[in-house]
Amino acid sequence: MKENAASTVVFILLLFLNTNLLNGQSLPGKPEIFKCRSPEKETFTCWWKPGADGRLPTNYTLTYRKEGETFTHECPDYKTGGPNSCYFNKKHTSIWTIYIITVNATNQMGSSSSDPRYVDVTYIVEPDPPVNLTLELKQPEDSKPYLWIKWFPPTLVDVRSGWLTLQYEIRLKPEKAAEWETHFAGQQTQFKILSLYPGQKYLVQVHCKPDHGFWSEWSPESSIQIPNDFSMKDATVWIFVAVLSAVICLIMVWAVALKGYSMVTCILPPVPGPKIKGFDTHLLEKGKSEELLSALGCQDFPPTSDCEDLLVEFLEVDDSEGQQLMPAHSKEHPGRGVRPTHLDPDSDSGRGSCDSPSLLSEKCDEPRANPSKFHTPEGLEKAEKPETNVTQPQDPQSTSVEGKIPSFHASGSQSSTWPLLQSPSLPYPRSSYHSVADVCKLGLGTPGAASALLDETDTHALKPSQTIETGGEGKAAEQRESESFRSKTDQDAARLLPQDKTPSISARPLEYVEIHKVSKDGALALLPKPNENSGWAEKTSTPETSKEYSKVSRVMDNNILVLVQDRRAQDLAPFEEPAKEAPPSLPQNPAEVDLASFPAAPSNCRLQLGGLDYLHPTGFMHSFQ
Amino acid sequence: MDSKGSSQKAGSLLLLLLLVSNLLLCKSVASLPICPSGAVNCQVSLRDLFDRAVILSHYIHNLSSEMFNEFDKRYAQGRGFITKAINSCHTSSLSTPEDKEQAQQVHHEVLLSVILGVLRSWNDPLYHLVTEVRGMQEAPDAILSRAIEIEEQNKRLLEGMEKIVGQVHPGVKENEVYSVWSGLPSLQMADEDTRLFAFYNLLHCLRRDSHKIDSYLKLLKCRIIYDSNC
Repeated sequence: MKENAASTVVFILLLFLNTNLLNGQSLPGKPEIFKCRSPEKETFTCWWKPGADGRLPTNYTLTYRKEGETFTHECPDYKTGGPNSCYFNKKHTSIWTIYIITVNATNQMGSSSSDPRYVDVTYIVEPDPPVNLTLELKQPEDSKPYLWIKWFPPTLVDVRSGWLTLQYEIRLKPEKAAEWETHFAGQQTQFKILSLYPGQKYLVQVHCKPDHGFWSEWSPESSIQIPNDFSMKDATVWIFVAVLSAVICLIMVWAVALKGYSMVTCILPPVPGPKIKGFDTHLLEKGKSEELLSALGCQDFPPTSDCEDLLVEFLEVDDSEGQQLMPAHSKEHPGRGVRPTHLDPDSDSGRGSCDSPSLLSEKCDEPRANPSKFHTPEGLEKAEKPETNVTQPQDPQSTSVEGKIPSFHASGSQSSTWPLLQSPSLPYPRSSYHSVADVCKLGLGTPGAASALLDETDTHALKPSQTIETGGEGKAAEQRESESFRSKTDQDAARLLPQDKTPSISARPLEYVEIHKVSKDGALALLPKPNENSGWAEKTSTPETSKEYSKVSRVMDNNILVLVQDRRAQDLAPFEEPAKEAPPSLPQNPAEVDLASFPAAPSNCRLQLGGLDYLHPTGFMHSFQ
Repeated sequence: MDSKGSSQKAGSLLLLLLLVSNLLLCKSVASLPICPSGAVNCQVSLRDLFDRAVILSHYIHNLSSEMFNEFDKRYAQGRGFITKAINSCHTSSLSTPEDKEQAQQVHHEVLLSVILGVLRSWNDPLYHLVTEVRGMQEAPDAILSRAIEIEEQNKRLLEGMEKIVGQVHPGVKENEVYSVWSGLPSLQMADEDTRLFAFYNLLHCLRRDSHKIDSYLKLLKCRIIYDSNC
């Protein structure tokens, strides 16, 4: 029995539940207040969304509580706002007060409440659209035609008392257009449109916004048809454009007239002819070599400051006044670092002067205190700039040069010219190209030939002037070019044929000699090549600097210097090359050779293997032969 | 020769005359200059005063609204501060009209003194708001800059309102009634939740009160200057 009763009860409950579930009846779903809005900051309305109603008739009630009050009120008006709404009239609306509003859904099964919504009327103001939008086409006689749009604020909003301040915005478009053209109208209730297409039908709308609220909806469209003869004369614009373009044309004509030539040259610059700054070809014709070469002076080209930087040292041959290449010993330099300038104020004047000392380099590993046989004015010049590689005493070369000196005379003339090399006071070697040109010119002996050579060498000379600044590699490359150039021109000229006559050649590494000067009788004044190792920071790698020098490998019988060809200088074909031939050691002849003390005698000489691209010796050897 | 000289003289005289007349005219036609602060008998018109006051109050409410929204977005999400910020403004002790009818029934002198009272009540809180926002970790610049600006503009609006009061009913010695703010300790609480709620509440009340002042001033302007026909 008890079991039966229990099971019956359970059965009935289950049945009840089942039927309910089958019917779908349940508690109402939770409603949700989705919007509250005030059209004029005096009343407001809230709308809610019912939840699932559980298949049962559901009753909705709205209750609210106000800030500062404790009791709960019910919605005063469910009708005015439409279904599922609550309208609060003026009496029930307080501004600057928070309302806590809740909606309850009740049905047979029970009730459920929405989440409370906190509403302050101050911040939910959204007015109605403006009303009475009128459009009117106006075509006054003496001014442009326009479309006049007028409207009125929404009826509920109290603008007169200043309770709300409205701002308006209109938009219009031709009927078929896709995009609206919007204009902000401020607080005025009218607007004029000036740019309209004739023959079109226009649609216009307006909406408004309160001073601290939301934009209203757009008003209903108003339309107007623009007649076809609606003329929009823009004559003033065209007149303005015409005047402006006339003015511009006048200005351009005037500018062209005034500066026609310079403009033409600006647009089509004249093709420059070859020219050397300061070089006066007339001087060449007159044979005034000094002025000519002074024009090519080293002031700019290359700049004196970079003279010391020159990695290339030129064999400077000075033919000036037929002076001996052996100036007095008095010209010898006190020591390193003495600039040649005191002998020749314009160290780069390009003039070979009789001051150029002949130089024989000393062995590089000999102490500097040793009386070096050679002046290396150039080296001394460069001694000012320790970082250059020219400041070194030509120790390593001295002996070799000395050894070669006897055989150096291409013309086989007096060996007494060799002492030139030993004389202390040869003029400073010029490391600039002009000195080479110099040398060549002098060697050739004729102004015409000289000019020809100069011309040829000039172009090359010009180039190195730039490369001198750039550094060793550049210089070396340039010089190699110029060397090659010269070598080509002078290739068939002298060949320094090495001779076997190498008196007292000791086994020494090859050393470089700069031919400092070539006298008229073919004597070469040699400068020991400065030893790059001695102490300055290597600016360039040794191989590069070696390109500048013509390495004398040995001295041949007939006083010809064998110059070593640089491995990389392909065009130094005429040179024989034993790169590693032991340089002859030259007898030290203190009596004859005035060796300036070289700066920074290096302990180890840098071998200039691979010869040089410096072909000057051949150039003037040719002339002397 | 002689005629030339005389014509020159006449020309220069005419020029001088023109110059003098221009100066005189300019002086009389020129609009009244803006009063330097401290000037006693300044003649800025009431219309200009109200225009300036309305511009200031509108601006201050815009700033307050932005500041509140910024704070709400950044610090108050999901904390339910709104439920606690009921009836918690320090200016609620001042009796202020709560809708348009009440505001229109209040005499404009009373309304002016209400405005003044609310403005004065906010001097102290605004000063401390700036100090405390500065001291916040990662003080948000959007909030701090607006707080500084509001403090500044509030002072200017107060000065303007005092001038208006001086013109609307001069000579009346009004009692300086205002609410005292005592929320500083809450702003300085160590507990982050309490402190943030204190800020939230302060910004919420500031937004509301600045809107009140703006509405009252616009009502007064239309009533006094435009005779309720804005």
